[in-house]
Amino acid sequence: MSTSALRAAMIPVTRRVRAYFAPVDRVTGLPAVFDPAKHGMFLLDAPPAPWRDLGWIDNLQRTCATATEAIHAGARGATLTQFRGPLDARVEFDFREWGKLQMALAGGAEHMNVLAADPNANAQPSGGIPIPAVAVLPGSSESEVIFGEGAVDAFSIGDLLAIDVDYQQQAGYVSTGVVAAYVKDPLDVRRDANYVRRVTFNVGRVVGKTATSVLLAQPLLGGVPPVGAAAQKVTAFVDREGGSFFQDWSALFVLQEESGGRVCFYYPRLSPSAGGKDTVTFQRENSVEIAKPIASVALHASFVALPHTDENDTETVLCYRSYFPAETSALY
Amino acid sequence: MQFAKDSFYMALRERLGSLNPARTVMVDGATRPTVIVAENELPSPASPLPDAFYIDWGSARVVQNHAGSRALAALDCVISYCTSGTTGSEVDRGRTLGTLGGELFSICQPPQTRKQDFTRIPSVDLGTSIFWTLPELSEIRSSLSGALTSGGDAGRHARMERRALLTVFFFFEVTLL
Repeated sequence: MSTSALRAAMIPVTRRVRAYFAPVDRVTGLPAVFDPAKHGMFLLDAPPAPWRDLGWIDNLQRTCATATEAIHAGARGATLTQFRGPLDARVEFDFREWGKLQMALAGGAEHMNVLAADPNANAQPSGGIPIPAVAVLPGSSESEVIFGEGAVDAFSIGDLLAIDVDYQQQAGYVSTGVVAAYVKDPLDVRRDANYVRRVTFNVGRVVGKTATSVLLAQPLLGGVPPVGAAAQKVTAFVDREGGSFFQDWSALFVLQEESGGRVCFYYPRLSPSAGGKDTVTFQRENSVEIAKPIASVALHASFVALPHTDENDTETVLCYRSYFPAETSALY
Repeated sequence: MQFAKDSFYMALRERLGSLNPARTVMVDGATRPTVIVAENELPSPASPLPDAFYIDWGSARVVQNHAGSRALAALDCVISYCTSGTTGSEVDRGRTLGTLGGELFSICQPPQTRKQDFTRIPSVDLGTSIFWTLPELSEIRSSLSGALTSGGDAGRHARMERRALLTVFFFFEVTLL
C-alpha cells in the first residue's frame, strides 16, 4: 500500500463570472482599488465600497497583446535579452442583465436618460423638451428624496427618476458623484438646464411614498442629492453610436468559486474600445436562444485596459490576477 | 413557480372569456370560462368535460446559460381538449375540434403576460412577465367505449381529443447565489 501523501486539489472550478465596476475619479485620474488583502473573499452579493454589482456576465475573454521584443546579438544572432514592447490588454464579455450602468459601459459614450417630455415638444431621438423638474428639498438621502407636500404628487410608485443639479453653464465634467459627460462649450448642450439630468447616473425607481417624499428601490449612485438638485421622470435609457466622451471605470471580475479557490481579475482602468486590432466588425448585442424563436439579448462590452502605476514598485501595469487558494489546497 | 402557473391560467381564462363568452362550464356550481387546471380541481375518476381546455403541468427545469441574478425556469405544459361535436348526430365533431384548436391559438396570443401574485386581493404585479412557446398540437386521438385510438382512423369514433404542448418560461422568485 502506498503511503505517499496526497496532494490536495489545486484546480479552481467555476460556474459563472460576476462583474463589478466603480468609477474612476476623472479629475485626479485615480481608480477604485481592489485590495486582495482587504476585500478578497467578499460576499458576491455584498461587494465592498465603492464597487457596484453589475451581475453575472458571459463569454469573458481577457486578451494580452503586449509584444515581447528581443535583442539579438552574436555571430548566430541568438536572443540576448528580452523586453516588453507597448502594453496592450483587452477585455470582452456579454452583460446578461441590462441596466443604466450596463448600457453605459457597453455603449461607451454618454448615456442618456430620456426625460418625460412635454406632449407638445418636438420629437428628439434622445428626448425633447422635458416636463419641468421638481426641486429636491434638504434632508433627502440617497434612498429617500423629499419634495414636500403637494410637490411629491408629481411622482408615482413605479416611476423612474433622474435626480441631479441644474446645468450651471460650466465647461467640464458634469453630474454628481459619477462623471457622466464632458461639456466643451455650453452652446453644445444649448445651455439646457436639464442637461445634467439627461446624462446623470443618479437614477432611481420609486417603490414607496410618504406625504412628502419618495422612497427609492436602490440608493442613488452619486449619493445624497446635492443642494439645488431637482428630479424629473425618466421614460427610457438611450445610448448612441458615436459621441466624444469615453466612460472610464475600474473593473473587477470574480470567478464564482465552486471548489474553494477564488480567482479575481482587477483592471484599475478600462476604457470602451470597439474591438481589438484585428477586429473588423463589432457586434453590439448577442442573442442567446432560449427556445426558438425566443431568445434573450445580451449587451456585448469591449474594453481596452489603461495603465496604472503600482505604488509598491512603480511598475506600469494594466491588470491584476489574484488567486485565493482553497483552504488546505496545495500551493505548488 | 406557483405565481407563474396562476398567471398563465388567469391569462388564458380571461382571454377565453373575451374571445368566446359562450364557452363556459359549470364547475362546483359556478359558471366560468372553460379553462381548467386539473390539479386545482377535486380528484375525480370521471372523464374530462367536453369542449373545455384542461391544463396539466409537466416537468420543470432551469434554462441553461440563462441565469442572471434570477434563474430563468422552463415549465412544460399540456393543454388537452376533447369534443363529441355540438349536434346529436356528432357529425360536426371534427369542425368543433378545429374551432377549439383555433381558440387555443388565439388565447395563447400574445405569448406573454405579467406575473402576478393572485393569492393577494387585489393581485400584486411581481415585476416581470412570463412567456411561452406557441402550442404544438399532437395528433388527434379518439375514444369509443373508453378505448383510445389515434392515427388515420381516429375520426371514426364519437369523441375526439387533442393535446397541445408548450413551455412556459419565467424568472424564479429565488435569487441565485
